[in-house]
Parts: sequence; structure tokens; C-alpha cells
Amino acid sequence: MTSHLLSLVVGAPALAALVLLFLRPEQRLAIRVVSLVAATVSLLGSVVALTSYDRARSGFQMVESYPIVPALGIHLTFALDGWGGPLLILTSVIIFAGVLASWSIAKRDKEYFALLLILVSGVYGVFVTQDLLVFFLFYEIAVLPMYLLIGIWGSSHEVRAEGPFRRAWEFFSVGDKQYAAMKLTLMLLVGSAAILVAIFALYAKAGARSFDLGVLASAHYSPELQVVLFPLLWLGFGTLAGVFPFHTWSPDGHASAPTAVSMLHAGVLMKLGAFGVMRVGMVLLPHGARVWVPVVGAVAAVNVLYGAFCAMSQKDLKYIIAYSSVSHMGVVMLGAATLTPEGWNGAVFQMVAHGIMTALFFAMVGLVYERAHTRAVAKMGGFATVMPGVAAFFTLACLSSLGLPGTAGFVSEFLVFLGAWRAGHYLWAIPGVLGAFVTAIYVLRATRAIFWGEGPSKEFHDLGEARGTEWAAPIVLGACVVLFGLWPRILLDHIDPGSAMHLERLLRLEAIERVVSTHAEGFKP
Amino acid sequence: MSELRALWVPLAVAAVAIVLLVVDVLTHPHTSRRWLGYFVAGALAAIFCATFLFPTDGRAAHGAFEGSAWTTSFQRLFLSAGVVAALGGLDDVAKRTPHRVGEYWLAMLFSIIGMLILPGARDLVLLIVAFELMGIPLYVLAAYAKTETKGGHAAEAALKLYLTGATSTAITLFGLALFTGMTGTTRLDALAGAAGATTPLAGVGLAFVIAGMGYKLGMVPFHMWVPDTYQGASTPFVAFLSVAPKAAGVAAMSAIFLFGMRGHPAHWAPVIALLAILSMVVGNLLALPQTDLRRLLGYSGIAQMGYVLVALASNDTFAAGMTFFFLTAYLFTNMGAFLVLHVAAESSGEHSAASLAGLAQRAPGLAAALMAFLLSLAGIPFVVGFWAKLYVLLAAFRAGLVLPVVVGIALAVVGLFYYLRVLSAAYMSEPGALKRPELGAPMRLAIGICVVAVVGLGLWPKPLVDQSLAAATSLLERR
Repeated sequence: MTSHLLSLVVGAPALAALVLLFLRPEQRLAIRVVSLVAATVSLLGSVVALTSYDRARSGFQMVESYPIVPALGIHLTFALDGWGGPLLILTSVIIFAGVLASWSIAKRDKEYFALLLILVSGVYGVFVTQDLLVFFLFYEIAVLPMYLLIGIWGSSHEVRAEGPFRRAWEFFSVGDKQYAAMKLTLMLLVGSAAILVAIFALYAKAGARSFDLGVLASAHYSPELQVVLFPLLWLGFGTLAGVFPFHTWSPDGHASAPTAVSMLHAGVLMKLGAFGVMRVGMVLLPHGARVWVPVVGAVAAVNVLYGAFCAMSQKDLKYIIAYSSVSHMGVVMLGAATLTPEGWNGAVFQMVAHGIMTALFFAMVGLVYERAHTRAVAKMGGFATVMPGVAAFFTLACLSSLGLPGTAGFVSEFLVFLGAWRAGHYLWAIPGVLGAFVTAIYVLRATRAIFWGEGPSKEFHDLGEARGTEWAAPIVLGACVVLFGLWPRILLDHIDPGSAMHLERLLRLEAIERVVSTHAEGFKP
Repeated sequence: MSELRALWVPLAVAAVAIVLLVVDVLTHPHTSRRWLGYFVAGALAAIFCATFLFPTDGRAAHGAFEGSAWTTSFQRLFLSAGVVAALGGLDDVAKRTPHRVGEYWLAMLFSIIGMLILPGARDLVLLIVAFELMGIPLYVLAAYAKTETKGGHAAEAALKLYLTGATSTAITLFGLALFTGMTGTTRLDALAGAAGATTPLAGVGLAFVIAGMGYKLGMVPFHMWVPDTYQGASTPFVAFLSVAPKAAGVAAMSAIFLFGMRGHPAHWAPVIALLAILSMVVGNLLALPQTDLRRLLGYSGIAQMGYVLVALASNDTFAAGMTFFFLTAYLFTNMGAFLVLHVAAESSGEHSAASLAGLAQRAPGLAAALMAFLLSLAGIPFVVGFWAKLYVLLAAFRAGLVLPVVVGIALAVVGLFYYLRVLSAAYMSEPGALKRPELGAPMRLAIGICVVAVVGLGLWPKPLVDQSLAAATSLLERR
């Protein structure tokens, strides 16, 4: 029964995008219904995949394989590991909420939904494919529609250029949506270029004439090569994960994107980057990873703190949330860099937790922006009196963001810092915890500035509560934040065997090195 | 009899050309002869289909021509280019030069005959003759719309093409004279064993050959004519000029270097790798500031040739196959892009990015086709250009050419920037006063063929990969 389940989950959105091509732009309800059906099919498929994954057996399940270019060893292989289920759920929940949050989009909606669905197919593909080249294919599919989505449907930020770089800012029209779209695409594509070089090298040096991740993982790469290739993969994928200092596309992109696209991009796409670093970089190149983790972890700690401080100084609501993503993605990378089961569990859990939390943030910000027509925090105030529901869900996202126990954010941050502490990386854990503290300052400050205090000024006459389909995103995402916070086991029981499986090779390497070193001591004259 | 079997494809096209000549003379010059374009397209399509039914292998002219999977693959490529060019140029020719329709197609058919012989030429003399048969009609065609277009640069375009073409032929011939003088043979299969092939003077000869071929392919530093000619000549013709002669040039280079000089890669591969890097760097960087989209595609074409040369410099069977794959991908992609550009320019009167403004709203199908072509040129997954770039770079990586691969991948990002800028004009700016472009049925068909090839092979590249590898094997492995 589950033999073609993963193809269904990956294929449903792409198929729906194809169907959309044959609809007329006037059939607005049909366009939305088709999109929603695809999102629902994928969501149900993901739930079935999660529940029917046999945790006791662990490993790769529901394997499907179709040859694409057998002469070069390229196969479209889908398989679910322990990480796959939770990440599919994350993607499904967000696209489901995203389609509903885009219900009122007015401009060229047919193309909008088609691009959104293609993008999501790419995301699903990355999470379940077992072929490195197909992984890269899906990765690109997930990255590129963003250019049009931001460039056409985005919103420009009113930047008042100041300071020594004023001229340069004006020349490049910083803050403009097309600037943001191009910056995002080019930076991510430079990352992809680095990844592609590394993929070539992995393929050529393995000599196995196969791109299968399992085959590549069992190949022997010399330590020197691993040390060279790992940073390529780390920075290549890391660009998408917002690794400092290659995170600068993220605030501009997220702030310019339309609501559902921000939800998807901050919620899911940045996770693809971190997922790539772990799944490809660290699993295939254990020695390279072990050599580089001090740097990876240190940079991740910088991410956490720097992102938090940047968020604190932003005046634009969307930029605050965007920088908070940079900060929280630092927590994911920190967890990955620990190379411990706790840290990896925390990293994957943080992907889910942060994804859902930030999607909730962007959904609420979108609602506020649609009504207030401004993103400047300074102009807002007292909105809770007219939109109490929005205020409540925004506050819920804030609480998860600062890691309040009972929300999903707490579980992941706790696991990551535990992992860092256990692995002896005290120097990373301290800035990490400090970052969580700074987060509390800026999210609470933003909430107070927007929703509480004096009632809204006369300028905001058409403010109002969310209506109809607009409730879907907050309810679905808010429920997930609480559910995963109170009952993290439903995900952790899957993530844990996944982390154990992927860490096995690293731990084995460590064991071998230990044996070699003791022998070397034994042979000392 | 076996000679006929090997040569029937060019002979069939020659027969079509003769029929066309007679028909053209017999019909009254003032009647509409638009249908001649349909005749050419139909005849070439029929020959294309016939290559799948009848064998094309064998040797002719005492081994100077060899029909093989390699030859047939390239012949199919040129025939399909001819079909697309005939359909895409049909209305334009009938409109701009209504009294000289027959000659236009005649010149194009003769050029195609040259191309059809070229991949099978195994003798340097035949190779040069075929090369000129291909090239000379192109000079005529470049100048074809000279008197009819106001403010056009067709004469300039044709003169530049002619002068560089003639010079490059002279240079190639001089190089071959030196080369055959040292080796004592004009037969490519005898080169491998020829004693003089590695002497310094033969090396000088080879350098001249590479330079001469470089002109034809528009490789840096022999690329100056490319953007000017593309800008001046009529766009549907440029669609043909930008792909088919280049593919033929690569076929000729493959015959000389991969087939003839395979045993001595040290004498030519580094030079080609260097030119490849130069082409990729200069082509991609000079494409950035272009405002005329024909010039932009011209420079991007220079860069694309760089990618082909990277594969050629790898000097192995897999790379040769991937060269063919790349050329096929590039042919459909670039022809499609030029044809869409032509349609858009017809409706707005200019060839700048502004002519594409709001194309997505004015003509969604056309804009989607343009997107497929641009993404394919940029090398983005799920269109054929991705596989093409991937394969040539992978082939080069396997052959140990790490530097060209890294340069190629890095510059692909630069390429993406200018392709995306074109795309953003079509998708992100408002149409303003621009009207919906008009497409005739043949143009729809031509663009449709390109879209089907680009997207179809992008989703399912396996048949073309198999075909390419079989072609390369027949060229290099079967001695």
C-alpha cells in the first residue's frame, strides 16, 4: 500500500501545477481548489508516511527506484528514513497553511499557485531522495521559482538610504523586490555551484559510477579530499541555511516575499540547506566534518547571537522575523556541529519547530501588513484591541521563539544545548543560550509595540480580525507548535533512529581512530 | 551501391534543392511563393523520418566519407534545424523578400548539404569542401534582407561574416597545408600512425587549424563577428546561423582532433581547453552589459561554445558523446529563444529587453516558452540545458580538467544573472502599450518543436544520452 506513497507526496503538487496550466485565469475558485487538493493529498500522504514508518526496523523504508540515466548511475530513488517523516510533515503543514493564506491573492493567481506548488514538489523531493544528483535537481527546483515569486508578487521595502554607502544603495535599489529576488537567486546559485563541484568530486573519486547516497557513503575518500570538499558543501548548502556571513540574502528575500512565500522560504527552504549539510556533507565526509566542526560550530554561535542582535535593531516588522530566522538557523547548525545524537535530534527537531513557528510569524505579519499597509513597527500600537486573535497567535509564536517550555521551540533548543554541553563545546552553548535570551527581548518588545499599549491611531481605520480562510494558517500552525511542544515524542521517536543511523559512520570512524591511536601508543618503543 | 547507401541523405537534400530550383523558375515571380517554405520544411522532415527507416552506414569515395551512427546523429540534428528554420523563417522571408523566396531556401538547402557531409568526412580535402559548401550560402543569407529592412545592418552583418569566414578558411587551409605536408596524408584515419604528426611544424599547422575553426565557431579571441552579425541579419536566419553551422564546426573539429589526432592529445587538448576557458569568461562577462537581446544571445552563444570545447578537450569517448548531447540541447534551445525574440520584436519594433515587457500577460504561452529556453541556456534542472551542462562538465571532470570545470560552473551563475534579467522583463514588468504578438501557424509549430525538445529531453534525457554515446562509440571505438 505504501509502495508509491512517496511519489504521491512528491508528485501531487507538481501534477496540480500541470493541471493549473490548463485552467483559465478566470476560474479563480478552481485554481485554489486544485492547489488545496494537492496540498491536502501531500499532507495526508505525509501523515501516512510518518505513521506507517516502522520505527523498530528503522533504516530506509518505502523505497522506490526509477532509472533516469542508468549509463551514469542516476536513478530517481525515493526512500524514507527517520528524518524524512517529520520533515515531510513540516513541509505539508506549511504548504497547506500557505495555500489557504494565499486565498485572497489577486494578481496573476494562476501562475502564483503553479510556481508555489512546483517549489513544494522540489522541497519534498530533497527530503526523500536517495540519489545525490536527483537531490541536487530537487534542490534547484526548490530554490529557483522563488525568483519569480518574490519579483512578481513581493512587496518593496521603503528604504531611506543613509550613511556612507547611500549612493551604492540607491544604485542597486536596495529594498526593491527585484533587487531582493536577484540577490537571493544569485547567492543561492553561487552556493549551488560550490555544491555541484563537490558532487562531481564525490562521484568521480568514488569511482562507483553511481550517484546513490548509500553507495557514495560506503566509498573511501581520502582525508585530504574530505577536508577540501567539506567546506564546499558546508558553505554551498549553508548559504541556504543562512550561515553567517552568507545570510544576507535572507532578510531581504523574506521581507520582500509575499506571505505564503515567506512562510515557505523561512519555514522550509532554509531547512533544506541545513539538511544538505548534515545529510550530504557530514554523512558522506565524516573526516572532513570532524576537522571542520570547530569552525562550523563557532560560526553557528555567531549566527545565533548576531542574528538576534540584528533582529533587535530592526524597525521593519518583516526584517525582525527574517533576522530571527537567521538566529534560529544558527541553533540548527549548532546542533549539527555537535556530531552527537542529542545535538542532531535537536537540530532536526529545531528545523520542524522553527519552521512551523516562523511560518506562523510570517502568516500573522502578513495579516497585519494587509490591514495596516505598513511594516514599520514604530507606527503600530494597540492592535490587539481590534485583532485579538491575530495578537494571540503572534504571541504564541513569540513564546515558541524564545523557547518557552510547552512550546516546540523549547524542546529543540534544550536538546541542542544539551548536545553541545555533552560534547564539551561549552563555548558554543553559552552564546547559544545568550542568543535565546536576546530573542526574548526582541520578540517581546515587538509584540508589545504592535499589539499592546494605546489603541491604534486613526490612520489604521480598516484594521480587523482575521476572516474565513485566514484563520486556517494560525490554527493549523499554532496547533502544531503546542502539539510538538507538549508531545515531542511523536517526532523524536522518528528523528532519533534517523540520527543514530546517519551518525553511525561518524562514530565508527571515531572508534577506528581510537583503536589506531591506542595501537600506536602500544608500539611506542 | 554501398556508396549510395552512405550518401543518400545529402543526395536526397540535393534532389529537393534541384526540384525547388525548377519549381522556382517555373512559377511566376509575382505570385505568393510562401508555400515553398512549407515544401522545404516538409521535405526535410520527410528525410529526417527516413533516416530512421533506411540504413545510412557505409563508406563512400574510397573511405573519404564514412556513414556511421555519429554521422547519422549529426545529420538528424541538421535536418531538424532545417525544419525549424524553415518553419520559423517562412513568414519572415515571404514578407521581407516576396520576390526572392525560392533563392533563400535554395541557399539554405545547399548550406545544409554541406553540413550533412561534414560529420562523415574522413579526408581533409572533403572536409574543407563540405565546410565551404556550408559556409558560402550563409554569407548570402546574412545579406538577404539588405534592401528591404530600413536602418538594418544586414550588409554590415554579411560583410563581417564573409570577411571573417573567408579569412578563417584561408587560415585553416594554410594550417592544413603545413600539417599534411608534414604527415604526408590527407586521410584522418592515417594520421594516428603518421610519423610527422608530432613535429613542431605540424603543431604550427594545427594551431592554424584551431584558429581557423575558432573563427567559424566564434571562440574567443576569434569572436568579434558574432554579436555584430547576429544584430544585423534577420532574426529567423540568425536562429539557424547561431546553431547549425556551429554544430557542424564542432563535428569537423571532432573529426580532426578526436578521431584523427586522438593519440596525441598533448598537441591540441591544452590549447582547446584554454580557448574554452577564454570563451566562457569573455562570453559570459561581455553578455552582462548588452542591451540588444540579439547581441546578448550572441555573447551567450560564445560562452556556450566554451562549454562544448571543454568536453572536446577531454578527449575521450564519453566526452565526445556529451559534445553531441550539448549541441542538440543548444540547437533547440537557442533556435527557440531567437524565434521567440523575433516574434516579440515584430510586435514592438525593437530587440531590447523592453520589447519583452509584460510578455507573460500579453502571450502567456510564448512567455512560458521563453522561460524554458532561458532556463535551458542557463542550465537549470528539468530543461535539457541542465543535463547538457552537467554532462560536459562531468565528462571534463572525469578526464581531469578541474580548472575549466570550476570556471564553467562559476560562470554559469553569471550567465544565470543575465538570462534572469531577460526573464524578469518578460515576467515582472508591465506590458504598457505593447500589443499581443501575432504568431502564424508555422511559427507556432517551430517554437512548439523547440519547446517539446527542450522540456521533453529535460524530463527524459535517457534516449538522447544513449544515442549520443552510441554515436561517439561509432566514431572513436570501432576501428
